[in-house]
Amino acid sequence: MNQVVLSRRKFLISSATVAGGLSLQLIPSELAAAPAGKAARELSPWLTIHADDTVVVTVPTPEIGNGASTQQAMNIAEELECAWDMVRVEFASFTREYKQPGSYAVGLQPFFGGHSTDHDRMPYTLQLGASARERLKLAAAKRWGVPPSDIEARNSVLTHTVTGRTLRFGDVAAEAASVELTQEPALKAQSEWRLLGKKQPHKLQVPAVVDGSAIFGVDVTLPGMVYAALLQAPVHGGLLKSHDADAVMNMPGVRAVVVIDPSKTPGSPVQADATFGLEGSELRSGVAVIADHYWQAKKALDALPVEWELGLGQFWESNEKIRDRQHQVLDKWAGTPLTKAGDVEKFEAAKTVEATYSIPFCEHATMEPLNGTAKYTADSLELWHPTQDMQQAFWVAADESGVHPDKIDIHQTLVGGGFGRRVIGDDVRTVVAIAKQYPGVPVKVIWSREETTRQGTYRTSLAARFKAGLDENGTLQALQGETCFSGMALNIGYTDMPYAAAGNIPNVRLATSSLPMHIMTGAYRAPCYNAHAFTVETFIDECAVAGGIDPLDYRLNLLSGWDPAWANCLKVAAEKADWGRPLPKGQGRGIAISNWPHSGKPQAGATVCAVAHVEVSQSGELKIHRIDFTFDCGRIVNRDAVLAQLEGGIIFGLNMSLNEGLTIENGAVIEGNFDSYPMLKMSDIPDIRVHFEALSGHDRFAIIGEAPVGPIGPAIGNAIYQAIGKRVRTTPFRTHDLRWS
Amino acid sequence: MSSIKFKVNGESQSVDIDPSTPLLWTLRDHLKKTGTKFGCGVGQCGACTVHFNGVATRSCLIPVQSVEGAEITTIEGLSESGDHVLQKLWVELNVPQCGYCQAGVLMAAADLLKRKPNPTDEDIDSHISNICRCGTYPRIRAAIHRAAKEIQA
Repeated sequence: MNQVVLSRRKFLISSATVAGGLSLQLIPSELAAAPAGKAARELSPWLTIHADDTVVVTVPTPEIGNGASTQQAMNIAEELECAWDMVRVEFASFTREYKQPGSYAVGLQPFFGGHSTDHDRMPYTLQLGASARERLKLAAAKRWGVPPSDIEARNSVLTHTVTGRTLRFGDVAAEAASVELTQEPALKAQSEWRLLGKKQPHKLQVPAVVDGSAIFGVDVTLPGMVYAALLQAPVHGGLLKSHDADAVMNMPGVRAVVVIDPSKTPGSPVQADATFGLEGSELRSGVAVIADHYWQAKKALDALPVEWELGLGQFWESNEKIRDRQHQVLDKWAGTPLTKAGDVEKFEAAKTVEATYSIPFCEHATMEPLNGTAKYTADSLELWHPTQDMQQAFWVAADESGVHPDKIDIHQTLVGGGFGRRVIGDDVRTVVAIAKQYPGVPVKVIWSREETTRQGTYRTSLAARFKAGLDENGTLQALQGETCFSGMALNIGYTDMPYAAAGNIPNVRLATSSLPMHIMTGAYRAPCYNAHAFTVETFIDECAVAGGIDPLDYRLNLLSGWDPAWANCLKVAAEKADWGRPLPKGQGRGIAISNWPHSGKPQAGATVCAVAHVEVSQSGELKIHRIDFTFDCGRIVNRDAVLAQLEGGIIFGLNMSLNEGLTIENGAVIEGNFDSYPMLKMSDIPDIRVHFEALSGHDRFAIIGEAPVGPIGPAIGNAIYQAIGKRVRTTPFRTHDLRWS
Repeated sequence: MSSIKFKVNGESQSVDIDPSTPLLWTLRDHLKKTGTKFGCGVGQCGACTVHFNGVATRSCLIPVQSVEGAEITTIEGLSESGDHVLQKLWVELNVPQCGYCQAGVLMAAADLLKRKPNPTDEDIDSHISNICRCGTYPRIRAAIHRAAKEIQA
């Protein structure tokens, strides 16, 4: 076994024979040299080549629809030189990682469903593919008695180039398992890639999706399984006061009524190692009905008399009150400054611009409602879950069950939409709390759509105020900002905004503050950035207008000397969208640009730019005609996969900006289903044009699924201003009166 | 409880069930046909779309008693081996992202093509009212137009 240095860590690639084939695994070097007498490591395959040529790639990441699992398989196939249609993927189990640390935990947040093409992950999978290929070649060389340099591997076939003899990968896979490499092969130059950056295969799970055989969490079917429907305190932090189980126990199929009690969480018997910690995953008080079938459980739950102790959250009587309180915090300008340059107070402005923006709580609305299945016994726990992070789910399950992690087995299912909702594991915890009270059989817990909506971990609500000092030329000379968060606070796209980082504004002060509330918040597709992009890009637009400068030119000036890809994204998008060509009254174009997750670093993350062309009728009806979109994530390995993420992200950004906003009334979320929390449909989608011309080719493969939600809202808002002269400073836009005459 | 008889994908089924149970849960829990998805329960999202006597219908709103004697087709029965023209194009054009809503979209689209073999954009807009949170709408539209062309060829 030879060491390979991957991302500064040393690994060994070791081989084994599995069912007549070749299996490879990665082992961290420090763990490979097991002390004498200690049991040998169990095989944790990353890659198995079977005798029938099938290539099975084991992926630690879940598949939430972004193609993360397919991408890992593509990396391996690139170096392995196998036929792509022989490849399938299986999800690794975190249980194996727990029992044998280092089995699958490589790279940043190894079990998290994102970062699919992250540079950090690519070297491992490329090296595994290369290692397997070399072993196959050596096995064939040995069989034929020829030098391995005369053997070529392509499309799952090994060819002796001198004689034309061939062997399939599967023919020598078992022999390849005993091949010792004198050194790990070097990787191909990127220019020699045949699959990455060239081919655009569909996601591997798509055939199972279209024939109905794909198994999402809610589809798990097990012998003896029972079903649970649940109701949790309508005001987060509230408690179940009373319920009358007897009133429903005689209803058909009902087996039990159980209480979800946050005070009963036993804690993990060993130190938990949850990816994102356990905060935010706590139980929410409630009650569940367990029955033979889901509909029986749901009917009984609907008939169950329940009373709540609503708790302090009920004093947040309305969205207006939340907004007023956030604004009161901002009025003090007393936030913690995180980005500073010069002195914003000293600059004497020729013109001052000031504006305040507000962003509501938003719900992820994954199409698959929250659910999970667990089987608990006195000393074991088995889970089947559509989680976005198996490591997180595993430790939350340990914490809620009290079962020793040695006895916890977790199975990853497909995930029917994530967007951050299935990360922290409050859903896992609830499933375990219910299943624990009905031991011995698998319990599938399904949240109704209404409960899914009301028991969210929402996009953080925030308010932001900016004050700018312009000189007599309209140039931005002083920029002061404060953002007040009600919930999880991240500053990406705000305090690291490139307008400050580029150094062209001499005086800057960007601060943060908070107004804590009882509403649960969490990751929501590009957390907080999705709001900062709106506040920052709308304000920059307001400065441009106040300065009498074209908003495109204004941004280009502010970004001079910065990573030129930003300017290029702006210019290409503007050109494609016919920027500057006159439009009739009631129509307008708006532009916006942002980057996730590295606004403040040149040549990092994904820079995204949108130009929206909108029309507002005199009666105030808003129509988005077209979105022209440019981006720079360095390089790409699967153009179609990138395009799919951009299309999806743009539409997510559209929905978020046009439609989404929860109503808080006396502490509770009012909206329950899609009739009150509307989603865009086919007929609402504008002409979306994604342009690849602004890709810089810089040597990075930055993540692309989150960035595009940022610039859509501000581009539309800025276009509305150009169309009718009304400035929208809050979302969702559907609540604005846009009438004009 | 009563015994309800109907056909699912050509096979006769007899289910002893609370007759008010929605067809959706009958299919999923009782007949283990989990391809038909639960999304909203109120007929908004279309994830549960099946063909009821040949017509695209949201199965979450239909009590199973009303399908007595009917022919139901689910995604598992849309084609013999997953090779309906729409299923093939859904794969080729990489339409799904998470895929959860797509069974319902496929059933709605198959129904549209039966009625309008060459649908306009407006036909697609009015007939496909399903919700896809991942935002696959542009690809759904493209795949339906491609299917119409292939059917005509």
